[in-house]
Amino acid sequence: MERLFQYVFDGLSLGSIYALLALGLVVVFRGTGHLNFAQGEMAMICTFVVWQFKAWGVPLVLAVILGMFVGFLLGAGVEVTIIRGVAKKSQAGVFVVSIALFLGLNSLAAMVWGNLPPEQMPSLFPDQPGDFQRIFGAVWRYEYIGVLVVALVLMGLLFLLFARTKFGLAMRAVASNPESAKLAGIPTSLVLASSWGIAAAMGALSGSLWGGIVGELGAGLMFTVFIYASAAATLGGFDSPGGAVIAGLSIGVGEQLLAGYFPGWIGQEMKLSVALLTIFVVLLFKPSGLFGSAKVERV
Amino acid sequence: MSLLSVRGLTAGYGPIEVLHGIDLDVNEGEIAVILGANGAGKTTTMRAVSGMIPRSGTVELDGRDISRTGAEKLVRQGIAHVPQGRGTFPDLSVIDNLRTGAYTRRSGVSSDIDRWFGVFPRLAERRDQKAGSLSGGEQQMLAIARALMSRPRLLLCDEPSLGLAPLITQEVFDVLRKLNSDDGLSVLLVEQNANLALRLASRVYLLETGSVVASGTAAEIASDDSIRKAYLGA
Repeated sequence: MERLFQYVFDGLSLGSIYALLALGLVVVFRGTGHLNFAQGEMAMICTFVVWQFKAWGVPLVLAVILGMFVGFLLGAGVEVTIIRGVAKKSQAGVFVVSIALFLGLNSLAAMVWGNLPPEQMPSLFPDQPGDFQRIFGAVWRYEYIGVLVVALVLMGLLFLLFARTKFGLAMRAVASNPESAKLAGIPTSLVLASSWGIAAAMGALSGSLWGGIVGELGAGLMFTVFIYASAAATLGGFDSPGGAVIAGLSIGVGEQLLAGYFPGWIGQEMKLSVALLTIFVVLLFKPSGLFGSAKVERV
Repeated sequence: MSLLSVRGLTAGYGPIEVLHGIDLDVNEGEIAVILGANGAGKTTTMRAVSGMIPRSGTVELDGRDISRTGAEKLVRQGIAHVPQGRGTFPDLSVIDNLRTGAYTRRSGVSSDIDRWFGVFPRLAERRDQKAGSLSGGEQQMLAIARALMSRPRLLLCDEPSLGLAPLITQEVFDVLRKLNSDDGLSVLLVEQNANLALRLASRVYLLETGSVVASGTAAEIASDDSIRKAYLGA
């Protein structure tokens, strides 16, 4: 029983990191109908930026907030300078460009930060061996509790932004019918750039939390997280923010359960293929995901 | 006095020119209608006036040149456009559709929402329903109400009768007539149903393959034999 609680709790915490990155994918997809392959690498770059601020002596919490701000500028800048022009010519082109971005950002990180000794990424929360609480016999590490709380709070804020603010209304309107949004006087370009910005800022937080857990930064930091996040976005439905959160948490829990109960034939090495298999099965049998509306063929 | 004045308007899609120099006027407080067959360029005219597509020629609103102003900005200057077929946000609730229509405004939004709920009681009943789940007639009324939320001086309405039952169409037209007579709202209407449109409009433009081939008061157009034969079927 303790094992079950342990796996579920660890899974929720890791899943909240996937959910954050998946939410970024969904925000971009809803706004522009594009799948941003570079979402994970943007998050990775931003995590290095956070580390850099920290190395310059900025307190970690402030560094993370600055990193999210840099992420916002990076995301919005990418949309305005690269994506927008290509999207006018060809939708498939955007797909290719986002893969190019993936590789470009990856190399950039390796170039700028690669020659240093492995970067130690501090955690936002107490992460010493003794920093935990036993609840129902399971070990609740403060770090994992902190990650879960921060991720859930940010998601809550995002849902408030969507549901309660005028800007959120504009974002939903542009996602629903861009032409009428323009006719209602909504500055659609600004809304689209901001969607990419918000997505990248969430990625930055996701990366910082993940980096803190991993403890070491590298250009491959977000690779597995991105696979899990893609699986979450696919499972939840690419246009459903709520779906991305639920699917992200479920995939986190599922991953822990599978790897924990079947260490022999799934274990740590094979669990990534479970995520890929999830993407495959969902696309095959329910391409709109669990909570999405059935227009995902735009992918 | 002319609220909207269009001279030598040309527009098209890519290399294809659809409008070959159109002149038209909509006076303050008037309903003008553009009649024409499929492919005559009616929708293109509306899109060119509201700044949805690149155009050249002169377009003046109240004497001010708006030919270089994009759609997003024209809303603030008083033009609201109900596009053909899909003028609503299907994934948003009815009330959010109306709020979106008031995006350019700061005050008086909720009292305006109440006002249009009074004019369209069926929308009030469905205020929390997604627009996409409404019937065609309700969606058309929502699209018009959405446009009116920006408090326009000129309403562009592109074939509001499309796909609607005759009774519903009549209802939509009654609302337009009432807004025109009670609030002095100026309307530029595109319509295929000439009989209906002639009863509503005071001024008529007849469009054929991108040019205005006849214009005049509704009475003049209705009494022209050749036009009657071609467009009114009698």
